[in-house]
Amino acid sequence: MHVLLIEPNTLLAATYRQALQHAGHEVRHVTGAQAAVMAADGRTPDVVVLELQLPQHSGLEFLHEFRSYAEWQHVPVVVHTLLSPRQLAFATDTMQRDLGVCAVLYKPHTSLQDLLRTVRVSTAAA
Amino acid sequence: MEARHLATIEAGDLLLSVAEQLKVPLTAIARQAELGQLTGQPSLVDAGAIRTQADAALQLVESYLLGLQLMSTQAQLDLEPVSVSSTLQDAAHALERFAKQYGVQLELHVAGKFPPVMAHAGGLRAALLSLGFALVEAQAAQDSAKPRRLTLATHHTPHGIIAGLYGDYDGLSAKQWRSALKLYGRAPQPLTAVSAGSGAGLFVADAILRSMESSLRVGHYQHQSGLAATFQPSRQLQFV
Repeated sequence: MHVLLIEPNTLLAATYRQALQHAGHEVRHVTGAQAAVMAADGRTPDVVVLELQLPQHSGLEFLHEFRSYAEWQHVPVVVHTLLSPRQLAFATDTMQRDLGVCAVLYKPHTSLQDLLRTVRVSTAAA
Repeated sequence: MEARHLATIEAGDLLLSVAEQLKVPLTAIARQAELGQLTGQPSLVDAGAIRTQADAALQLVESYLLGLQLMSTQAQLDLEPVSVSSTLQDAAHALERFAKQYGVQLELHVAGKFPPVMAHAGGLRAALLSLGFALVEAQAAQDSAKPRRLTLATHHTPHGIIAGLYGDYDGLSAKQWRSALKLYGRAPQPLTAVSAGSGAGLFVADAILRSMESSLRVGHYQHQSGLAATFQPSRQLQFV
């Protein structure tokens, strides 16, 4: 599977990339929303793993942009964020109902195994 | 009494911001440790990255405690003549390994003669380090194809001697910084032009600098933008 990893912290990204690659995935990593759209334009990902807190344009802005293109409307998106469920309470429903987010994971409480499992389930269901 | 109440609110906001920021290095350390177990390949664990993240977390906590101490006691640091150039050099040296881990190139521009300024050596170092850790991480996260570069520079202006850290932060403005100073601790991402997170190091640095009769402001240097503080030269030593 081709994973588009949108993660602003490059050290964290290196760890997630290694874990995903070890599980057999190809990974393209970008740090922000603009680069993510360009990366998806170059090759449509099988799944997107997205941090919502990005520099300049937020992850929610990216999601709206991403879903506005017909070819990307059914690509599974896993939100994997440092924002806590309490901080995200206002947006979780919208993300899942209107923006087709498969799962919302709180990064500090999500093990690599949990992330890999969620990616696997999301792509299997797509 | 009112001043103390305001200081308590400010310290609380700073603590919330620091707590948010600490999620990053702690998550990075936890996931690094897990990577070795998950893959069965301990060689994949990057000990350098773990050390860097732990150092960054410790530095943030220490700088926060210094800022808190100053705010809670309403004490001013004892100001003394300090060399800004030497302190910037020292900060650059301390940031080197962290910047390398993040793929950010540090540049030090301290050429020229600068008289000592009135500051507190330990406080100034803590503020510059706190600012440096935050800006290195932020520079690495910039959504740009430009090389990741952070410049530590000092220069003269009619208002005093300016020490600052500058990089490519598109859209960073004085208005955004003023807004961020009101939002930190309450908004998860108060300065989106710079930081993808709480940016606690920026606000801790500002709190320490304010106790030295200075503060952080948006500044520009050689087509880069960043945050900088102005200091007054020590008149005492100019006559020596």
